[in-house]
Amino acid sequence: MTNSLNDIRHAKSMIFIGSNPPEAHPIAMQHILHAKEKNNAPIVVVDPRFTKLAAKGTDYVRVRPGTDAAYMMGLVNAVITNGWEDKDFLSKRVAGFEEMKEVAAHYTPEVVEDITGVPAADVTRVAKLLAMNRPTSLTWCMGGTQHHIGSSIVRAFCILQLVLGNMGKTGGGTNIFRGHDNVQGATDMCILSHSLPAYYGLSDGAWQHWCRVWDVDYDYIKSRFKEKEWMNKKGFTLSRWYEGVIQEDKIHQYTPLKAVFQWGCGPNSNSQYHKVKKAYDMLDLIVVVDPFPTMTAVLGEKDNIYLLPSSSQYETSGSVTSTSRQIQWRHKVVDPVHDSRTDYDIMADLVKRLGFADEFYKNIKQVPEDITRELGRGSLTIGYNGQSPERIKKHMENWHMFDIDDLQAKGGPCDGEYYGMPWPCWSEDHPGTPILYDISKPVMEGGLPFRNRFGSVATYVMSGREEVQLAAKGVCNPGSEEPGGYEEFKDVVPGTNWKTDLSQKTIKEALSKGMAPFGNARARCVVWTFPDQIPIHREPLHSPRPDLIEKYPTYPDKENHYRVDTRYESEQDPELVKEFPYVITTGRMVEHMGAGAETRSNKYLAELQPDMYAEIHPRTANNIGVRNGEMVWIESPEGGKIKVMAKVTERVDDKTIFLPFHYGGMFMGESLSDKYPEGTEPYVVGEPGNIITNYGYDIITQIQTTKDGLCKISRA
Amino acid sequence: MARMRFLCDVERCIDCGGCVVACKEGNHVPVGINRRTVVTLDEGKPGEKAISVACMHCSDAPCIAVCPVDALYQRDDGIVLVSKKTCIGCGYCFMACPFGAPQFPKGTFFGARGAMDKCTMCAGGPEETFSAEEHKLYGQNRIAEGKVPLCAGMCATKALLAGDADVVADVYRKRVFQRGSGVNAWGWNRAYTKK
Amino acid sequence: MQKRRTSIFLLLFFSITGLTATALAQQPAGFVGLTSSVSSYYQELMQVITGDWQKYGEVFTMLTAEWFRPIFLVVLIGVPLVFALHYLIIGAKHFDHEGEQVLFFSAYNRIVHLIAAVSFSLLVITGLLIIFGAYFGGGAFIRVSRYVHLISALVFAIPGILMFAMWIKDMLPQAHDIKWLFILGGYLSKEKKPVPAGKFNAGQKMYFWFSTLGGGVMAYSGYLIWGFGGSLDTIRLFTIIHNILGMVIVAFYFTHVYMSVFAIAGSLQSIKTGYKPKNEVDILHSRYKY
Repeated sequence: MTNSLNDIRHAKSMIFIGSNPPEAHPIAMQHILHAKEKNNAPIVVVDPRFTKLAAKGTDYVRVRPGTDAAYMMGLVNAVITNGWEDKDFLSKRVAGFEEMKEVAAHYTPEVVEDITGVPAADVTRVAKLLAMNRPTSLTWCMGGTQHHIGSSIVRAFCILQLVLGNMGKTGGGTNIFRGHDNVQGATDMCILSHSLPAYYGLSDGAWQHWCRVWDVDYDYIKSRFKEKEWMNKKGFTLSRWYEGVIQEDKIHQYTPLKAVFQWGCGPNSNSQYHKVKKAYDMLDLIVVVDPFPTMTAVLGEKDNIYLLPSSSQYETSGSVTSTSRQIQWRHKVVDPVHDSRTDYDIMADLVKRLGFADEFYKNIKQVPEDITRELGRGSLTIGYNGQSPERIKKHMENWHMFDIDDLQAKGGPCDGEYYGMPWPCWSEDHPGTPILYDISKPVMEGGLPFRNRFGSVATYVMSGREEVQLAAKGVCNPGSEEPGGYEEFKDVVPGTNWKTDLSQKTIKEALSKGMAPFGNARARCVVWTFPDQIPIHREPLHSPRPDLIEKYPTYPDKENHYRVDTRYESEQDPELVKEFPYVITTGRMVEHMGAGAETRSNKYLAELQPDMYAEIHPRTANNIGVRNGEMVWIESPEGGKIKVMAKVTERVDDKTIFLPFHYGGMFMGESLSDKYPEGTEPYVVGEPGNIITNYGYDIITQIQTTKDGLCKISRA
Repeated sequence: MARMRFLCDVERCIDCGGCVVACKEGNHVPVGINRRTVVTLDEGKPGEKAISVACMHCSDAPCIAVCPVDALYQRDDGIVLVSKKTCIGCGYCFMACPFGAPQFPKGTFFGARGAMDKCTMCAGGPEETFSAEEHKLYGQNRIAEGKVPLCAGMCATKALLAGDADVVADVYRKRVFQRGSGVNAWGWNRAYTKK
Repeated sequence: MQKRRTSIFLLLFFSITGLTATALAQQPAGFVGLTSSVSSYYQELMQVITGDWQKYGEVFTMLTAEWFRPIFLVVLIGVPLVFALHYLIIGAKHFDHEGEQVLFFSAYNRIVHLIAAVSFSLLVITGLLIIFGAYFGGGAFIRVSRYVHLISALVFAIPGILMFAMWIKDMLPQAHDIKWLFILGGYLSKEKKPVPAGKFNAGQKMYFWFSTLGGGVMAYSGYLIWGFGGSLDTIRLFTIIHNILGMVIVAFYFTHVYMSVFAIAGSLQSIKTGYKPKNEVDILHSRYKY
């Protein structure tokens, strides 16, 4: 989130696309409804389903799954053609606008209607609604990202906010709601295969930086790899790790995967889950660390699994980073119960037995405070250095002193600081940054310009135009020594920059000049390293519209995409819709969480949602001859099939079928209840919805496409 | 003395069921007994609305009036409680209740109902306050601890309000004023108008 | 012929009234499409959570809270009081039990009646205990009363059906029953003048119908109330029926007990032995052909 949950209270309008907070983020709703009530702010809900948010919204827009980019570019175009864009903001703080405008011009309301199914008049109406009620808070979640063009879709969202001039303003921003209380923290630590913690990447410089932080010899780390080149290569992703075992697509690694370690991972959130089962049956070793046995524990046929019971969040402590980038301290409530052990404890034993405990624990004597200190010392890119465990705890103890509207403490021991010191928090004296890219405040009071990350000048291939990427003259935070754009700080300590100077002298130098360590640049509409430099619509890999596949085809196949060849062009078959006529999309329900191992083991939550179901429109139901509560078979083009209860509802339209993805413990019609270790069988078992989700991965991030795909359905 | 009341703001209720689960977890209510429940109407259609319903602790409570064994009684602060030791499970209170609040566990004798269970507004029961017996039969006594009921405390959007009637009404009045549109507080007329 | 037609008419009248009541109760609550206004939304909501409270719940509450217990109290005290006065002023009817006897009830009749008498008495007693449970502090005692009420009902079902079958012919309403009712069976005078009655007089017949057919209604409504076996509104209606019918049956029960134990001396003896004095039959059951 560029802003915070609380800051939504200042929004004059809100647009949600692929986000359903009443089910996925109920806590956020109090701020959303506050803005609705107090500011009379319209809530525009863009979603293939009439969600519970739509029930609370003022304007509901039903889009076809996977066409979000087209809809957004349509809004951008409508704003520009009607002259509603923020011209001042665009000329001073945005780069590549002219080039983007050319591309957006294609998405006239009529074109958008053809692609998305939204009436042309509605496109202009919503554009006007947002333009006339600024600032607008824009929120997306996985409904926006989990497409093969997900990276283009989210960029289109950002571009809309730039065009409306809503960035860096209270009540505006791109507010992506993250999952549970520490998903942002997990992201910041880059529990991913393409980057070291805090988005440093995998370059030699990044490795050297973190080796210095860890106080571990770089050559020692290097010696742990087979060859040095593997240090800099992206690994397999969570979406496709199983290809490293089953190799249905060609892999680029010297050996297939032999073991998998799942730590707090809901495995049935993997698309094409039936293929994951194949991998389970081929692996030598599977280790599951979780408070409850996940579906991994029961799905495999082979005796190759170890279950390590970990304690819950209430039985341990540590820092967590919320969706609003706020860092909080989670205190322990009780000691671990039953045979469980804390994650720290399990990790310590593991590290000891693997034989590198000395290197691992060099800076960590006091768990977990020293962990927070170490990661803070290294994560300079995102300003984690100011939030010491002591400061975090002080904020927790003085909760009541922070203002609900702007998160700032008024008086008291945390005077002037923002709750949780939202990152970046550049130093121990910095109050935290409640709103990113806000140039109305001095940097030392939580203000920031856009980051200078991609050079000072760029030439666009599509137009041949050269443009300065730094902010225009006069655009800077109050008190800045440089009255306009400037580059990032480097060589204050020779050979380092603000990200790698562990003495933090560079950062302090910038702060003392009233400037941001990362420079002051423009937000760019053109990303010259992406295949689509400016976001465009591409039909979902498995599209129900053969005519549009021709017009908006997908990418060419991509070789060695996170170590596995990934099909695009060769997968997009216009004939597929004939056999698989319905669009499948997945989502969450409020009662269950993630893959549901925990919540389905709670009797009260199980009581509220006891059955896996598929939402189908009454017309679909009547056409296939099934009534509410009867069972249906749903099949995917990849050969997955599930038997689930039909929930006949007008939430979905007659071309779409919706599945919640929280269920597990059944597999293609068969219950696996008896395979759980004694006494751990969940109260509720059901088919994982992800057995039906289709092939398809984002071109940049390789996120799976669980929100668009095709399927067929029949009465069971 | 303060008059304790519930109010569920329909404009705020997001149908999350947090109140239901908080109540059950906190009071160890058996599965199948719903002291509180969320009712959704017109699900999936424009106009969809949800509301959290439990015992409203009525003035002139019909349940008290019809109970043949006087198992129900009203405290000075308006909270209506049942003595499970006195209750015979006849079900009259359920028939009289305009809010569907009374709940009955299945008994052993030919499917006879056990003693009635309902929302206590987290105020325990007639047994000694904070006693193990009270906790076992009725759950927590948060009112005696000076806390709001679990359901209202849990509510993410502050849709469910509980506490001193004057304060609750005041909070709600401000909201209605802010919205510029008035909606009657659901159930208040029925529950709290003295006949 | 005339007699049979009257019987059929009277039976039909009661049946239709009963069926109509049932049918009214079973009407589905029914949703009314999309809600547009706030008030109609609340109306719809009420239907979901508690049936049609306005139509049935409020009536149930009013009747139960304000009328049933007082009326039962009136029946409980008033009816015996009237009979006590009757006993003091007019007194019991005495017939010669040494003289000629007529076999009035077979052994089968008497056994069936005995079982019915015991279970029925228990039903009345436990029923009243439940209604006046508050005076006993509720709790386990009244809970057990409920269980006994159920068991007694199940037991009574057997003799109830048998009695119905063995006496229905003699219990069919006749034209002379109306005359009997006009003179109240002659109980208001000390005179021993033959009254118009067959094997059973109009009073007995009324009691018969209320305890057999009425008993059926009581059983069915009781069954629904016991297990909440219907929509809430149905249960509300049947609880009202159960109570009102209960009052009538209790009143008849007291009458029956008074008549057999006090008003006609030695009457209790005849249900034990099966014999009635001939002169008693000639007076009180003057049309009985023995």
